Amino acid sequence: MLRFLIIPVKDFINKMYFGDFFNSLYLFIRPLIKWFLHRFTNLSELQRLVYGCQDGYRRYKLVERSLNMSKRPQIRHLVYCLEERTSQPIAEMHIHPEIVNRAVHTVVLAKKINPKYHPEFSDQLARCIEAIYGYKRLVTIIDQMRLEPYDSENHAHEHKLKALWNNLMPDVKLEARITKQWQEIGFQGDDPSTDFRGMGILGLENLLYFSREYPGTARHLLSHSQHPTYGYTLAVVGINITHMAWRLLKSGIAKSHFYNLSKIHGYPTVEHFHQFYCYLLYEFDHFWMNAKPNNLMEFNNVQVKFEKAIVKVSERESCHFKMNLSVESI
Amino acid sequence: MDMEMGLLSLLRKLRSSSDKELRIVLVGLDNSGKTTILRQLANEETPHITTPTAGFNIKSISSNNLNLNVWDLGGNAKIRPYWRNYFENTDVLIFVVDSSDRKRMSESTGEFNELLKDEKLKSVPIIVLANKQDLSSSMKAAEVAELIGLVKLKDRDWQIQACSALEGTGLQEAMDWICKCVKK
Repeated sequence: MLRFLIIPVKDFINKMYFGDFFNSLYLFIRPLIKWFLHRFTNLSELQRLVYGCQDGYRRYKLVERSLNMSKRPQIRHLVYCLEERTSQPIAEMHIHPEIVNRAVHTVVLAKKINPKYHPEFSDQLARCIEAIYGYKRLVTIIDQMRLEPYDSENHAHEHKLKALWNNLMPDVKLEARITKQWQEIGFQGDDPSTDFRGMGILGLENLLYFSREYPGTARHLLSHSQHPTYGYTLAVVGINITHMAWRLLKSGIAKSHFYNLSKIHGYPTVEHFHQFYCYLLYEFDHFWMNAKPNNLMEFNNVQVKFEKAIVKVSERESCHFKMNLSVESI
Repeated sequence: MDMEMGLLSLLRKLRSSSDKELRIVLVGLDNSGKTTILRQLANEETPHITTPTAGFNIKSISSNNLNLNVWDLGGNAKIRPYWRNYFENTDVLIFVVDSSDRKRMSESTGEFNELLKDEKLKSVPIIVLANKQDLSSSMKAAEVAELIGLVKLKDRDWQIQACSALEGTGLQEAMDWICKCVKK
């Protein structure tokens, strides 16, 4: 009986999301709809979302929206705290006790939801909060990495740079720290340190992860980048793809991918961001070779088209970018 | 109907006469700050968050009633040979120098001299931007002009301008010179 009531109303609400007019109309009559649904289903909006939406991006996104729009002081404070706690991201071991469990407790109290009758609700809401907070936390961590400039005096940085060379060119010895050899893997000059610029250490970590975890694929891309006509500068293009991955993350476009990932893995980690990067770099190489550009001057045109394609896929609720590793066996 | 059309074309004519389209080309070695300058000129919020330009960036900027299409060409040695594909019909050339990088001044001068020889850039006005003046180790604009051989130029209008792309200083002066130069 309940389902019969929920489904048509849910569809009605979904249609209302389209367009600005319907959006403002929806905002206007939202309290009325909520009241009406609450009366007849005896469930709060959060419960209806948790029970009625498929697990993954769709559910997490709607729960996030519901929390953000709530007028209840306790929930508003919770939203404020979630935002506040991302400015200094907490350690992984504290995510559950300090953020998720507390948030669930707050909601259950504020909404007067009896865990006896709704045993599933708390667990499901916890998963939503984990994904929502996890994404915000990841944005901050990635931003911190981006803001750390490459420093030639820092031994850890220098070590990573050399490791990148060894992963990509295992058979060629680097003659010196400052050498034209860097251009072979696609840096601009004889000292890569200035090429990281706005992406800082994040650009290096991304490239290093790719070359370490997928050495075969990385060398395959390197051989593409040395192609006489379709050649490109691998490291520089890699740093530009870091920029793209960061933009997608920061703007929230990548939420669909990361929320769907959270459905399986819980809160996202830096490793998940590296994986996302690897997917983008690998797919960009594919896209570039297929575009058959005349020379590297076409990079921006091709990159803009590639980004549009990725944004389009991200709009799908089921979006989940996965590396196709067939190349690894070559 | 006819009157409307007439009005429309009149408006269009008025517009095209005041908003002349200019082609500005921005070149220089890699890491000299071309993209930051471009983004600063376009009043972007975060001009400093850049990555090495693989290829080029283009932006339209209006300044002093003129529409400037600014082409920022990547400074990577690999793509410098393609610069000349973009020189056709250039109104003003901007050459950017990293004033803090003394080691690469000779490389910069070499590229600059190549540009001067280019037939497509014959008598095109040149403005040299002595960038990164925010760093204390930077050379002064006069020293840059001296090293690059700008003072010896006699066949065209030229200008040297100290600037800091990061802080956005000196760029308005550069724009003013460019606009004055093409209005002559």
